[in-house]
Amino acid sequence: MPTASSSSADVSTSIVAETEQSDRHQRRARNSLWWDAFFRFKRNKVGVISFFVIMLYIAVGILAAVGVLYPNAQVPNQVEAYTSMSWAHPFGSDIFGRDILGRAVHGITTAISIGLLASTLSLVIGLVLGAVSGYFGGKVDGFVVWLYTTVDSIPYILLIPSLTFVLGRGLINVFIAVGLTSWVTTARLVRGEFLKHKNRDYVMAAHAIGAGNNRKIFGHILPNVAHLAFVQFGLGFVAAIKIEVILSYLGLGVDPSQPSWGLMIDDAKNEIARPYWGNLTAATLFMFGLILSFNLFNDALREALDPKMKNK
Amino acid sequence: MKQVQRFRPHSQSTTFLQVVLAGAVAVALAITGCTKKRFDEKDTTLNVALPVNLKGLDPSNANDQYSATVIGQIYEGLLQYNYLKRPFVLEPKLADGMPEISKDGLTYTFKIKKGIKFQDNAAFKDGKGREITAQDFIYAWKRLADPRNTSEGFWIFDGKIKGLNEWATAVKAEKANYDTPVEGLTAPDANTLVIKLTGVYHQLSYVLTMPFSAVVAREAVEKYGKEFLNNPVGTGPFMLVKESDWVRNSKITLKRNPNFRSDLYPSEGAPGDAEKGLLADAGKPLPFADAIVFSEIVESQPRWQNGLKGNFDWFDIPKDNYESAVKNKTEIAPELGAKSMALDITPALDVTYIGFNMLDPVLGKNKALRQAMSMAYDSKTYISKFLNGRGIPSQGPIPPGIDGNEEGYVNPYAQFDVEKAKALLAKAGFPEGKGLPELTYEGFSDTNARQNAEFFAQMMAAIGIKVKINSNTWPQFQEKIKAQKAQIFGIAWGADYPDAQNFYQLYYSKNKSPGPNDTSYNSPEFDKIYEESLKLPPGEARTKLYVKLRDIVAEDAPWIFNAHRLGYRIRQGWVNNFKWTEVGYDYPKYMRVDSKLRAELGAKF
Repeated sequence: MPTASSSSADVSTSIVAETEQSDRHQRRARNSLWWDAFFRFKRNKVGVISFFVIMLYIAVGILAAVGVLYPNAQVPNQVEAYTSMSWAHPFGSDIFGRDILGRAVHGITTAISIGLLASTLSLVIGLVLGAVSGYFGGKVDGFVVWLYTTVDSIPYILLIPSLTFVLGRGLINVFIAVGLTSWVTTARLVRGEFLKHKNRDYVMAAHAIGAGNNRKIFGHILPNVAHLAFVQFGLGFVAAIKIEVILSYLGLGVDPSQPSWGLMIDDAKNEIARPYWGNLTAATLFMFGLILSFNLFNDALREALDPKMKNK
Repeated sequence: MKQVQRFRPHSQSTTFLQVVLAGAVAVALAITGCTKKRFDEKDTTLNVALPVNLKGLDPSNANDQYSATVIGQIYEGLLQYNYLKRPFVLEPKLADGMPEISKDGLTYTFKIKKGIKFQDNAAFKDGKGREITAQDFIYAWKRLADPRNTSEGFWIFDGKIKGLNEWATAVKAEKANYDTPVEGLTAPDANTLVIKLTGVYHQLSYVLTMPFSAVVAREAVEKYGKEFLNNPVGTGPFMLVKESDWVRNSKITLKRNPNFRSDLYPSEGAPGDAEKGLLADAGKPLPFADAIVFSEIVESQPRWQNGLKGNFDWFDIPKDNYESAVKNKTEIAPELGAKSMALDITPALDVTYIGFNMLDPVLGKNKALRQAMSMAYDSKTYISKFLNGRGIPSQGPIPPGIDGNEEGYVNPYAQFDVEKAKALLAKAGFPEGKGLPELTYEGFSDTNARQNAEFFAQMMAAIGIKVKINSNTWPQFQEKIKAQKAQIFGIAWGADYPDAQNFYQLYYSKNKSPGPNDTSYNSPEFDKIYEESLKLPPGEARTKLYVKLRDIVAEDAPWIFNAHRLGYRIRQGWVNNFKWTEVGYDYPKYMRVDSKLRAELGAKF
């Protein structure tokens, strides 16, 4: 039986700390689902490599955000526009003479913060609504199902731009718009799990010893469906990054004063006529690396967490 | 009035994209086994690109260049410019000869050509267009004045025609209607129109060339009501035959108007026109084309690629394609020349500027702040970056080629100088930008416009001013300006007629937004001199006043003066009679497509 103490934080810190302590932990907690998943994840080389690539992206993103890496990426140098590749500018410089590599690096910060905030927001909404609806059933369930069916029936590519029209541009608004529209799948999955779990013996036992609804939902059932949340979080992360790029490309995303891969591709749209490839190459390479690693990581995580895949 | 985008698309070499496109076309042809020619040998259709989405086709709201271009094909007014002569010469259009002007200059008597019919439309009895009368003009001009219409074109008559403003006030109070007579607009008979002015108005003949003053059928306005802007009925060479010919945000097809009057290609031109073959069609009936297709393509690259493929008969050169399209600043690139494309360079008679909302509590009252921002803006770099050098930094509103532009004048606040800008900013009360709230720049959402906005924000950041960028569609953008909700905005003004007054009216307080004074600038001193200048005929005395006006707006800096552009465009080899006109929208009727040549050349593209 899994315990409530093995929260997500435990798993991620453990993965980072990995090898030195693993033996001791292995003996102590070998039978826990989370440890089991961790060891299976560790055996998946592609998963581990992609995890480290993501960590590298995050580290670079943070360093750029605090001003260690490319602090002057947004400072124009009008004279040095469209320089070709060199050691100083590995991808050349853009129309305002800004180093394209530096812009792409700062693009990580934008992408990751959108991914993180938007998928957290959508996860929280999805988890709470899914849990409440699955657990209580009846009218509450009816309402939540109606709500997510309605939201789901509007294509997101229309819904998100219309939300950003209402909220205005900018990083915060983009993440709110994405978060508010992408919780449906999580809610549906969590609701299904709750329906399944709420009448199980361990919940009954908790009920028998006097646990209230809150305790049953968050203390007992939620930990048992948390693996779903992890996978959904990862998938939401990738989707949010892609949506940010698309929105910025369409002129609905972040403020143009913020670096974004979408804006770089928008610049490139005209520049390939020159022909000048710096913006397009840098933005797509950076995006490709992050999204590919995330997808591979998500696959590995799902395999590790899914009990049905245990013996494969 | 015409507002134009600041970022007029201008022109490129064989790119990867072209190769891909060519490949795709080749594959498509191979798959379908298609051998159909791209252009029919008898098809005389003109194909034209529009860089924005159309707002609607009501002449009383034809205030942006692109809507006016389409409206100008459907609707007609009393006068027009000679197609070939330069400087521009007025000539009658629907008027039968030039007007008779009374000695005091206050009464204009127009004879209207007989037998001119409206385009056929369901609004008329039996669907057949009826003959126009002088009353139709009176009706159309009352529409401009009607406050319920919120017309963007009323400025052309505002306060100028006896009794018209009074009529508008009475309409507002519901004490008058369209049948109430106006003293200054009378029709003694069906073909005579008498205009009585409140004062001398030297620009009257010019504004009568504009689509605003075009003749409108009362039946159509009354039948369609609010939908009138989607159901145009005019007398022009082309017409919208059926609703489905207009696909919103995509294209509009206008067909030849079978009721079109007898109109002939001019037989005299400017010196040198005969040598260029521009008089070969002299005396032939107009229009030459059977149809015009206006394609609304907002992004510059698809427009350019379509042009290169022969899908447009003429098209602008985008900044990123300039190097591959133009050699030595004045010659067309050999690859394009080999496709018998030609380069046309015409000064644009315009000014691009960045306007400040003078009603804004921060910007409106702080002259030093506006001057500081003006000095922080580097129009030379703008011109090299965004116009490939195709323009000159403007020192005032009047472009070269129009009386009132003083050669050699240097506007002290239009000079890029970061140090002086910083000093002025400190004088404005915001040393290094401290205490100044974030300002908002309104632009539109295409790539070039965004880059322009970024450029402006960077220039301001250099002296410590924070600027947030908002992007809008072209109609949204105009809405914001009309509603005085735009704080800072980048836009351009193209001359409606060749007179500096057309630029100075942009500062006249009575024209404030939603009128053409889109910064809502208000200076009693300016107004006084401007009103004085209106009374003067062209000449030295008036030019002196124009210089005074320029000095006032240079000092007050409601605009950051940016550039006067040179228009570069490419014309396909099969287009004859091509002479670019910067004022007026009549040119398509004169253009003649050599359809055989187009079929032949088009097949090779």
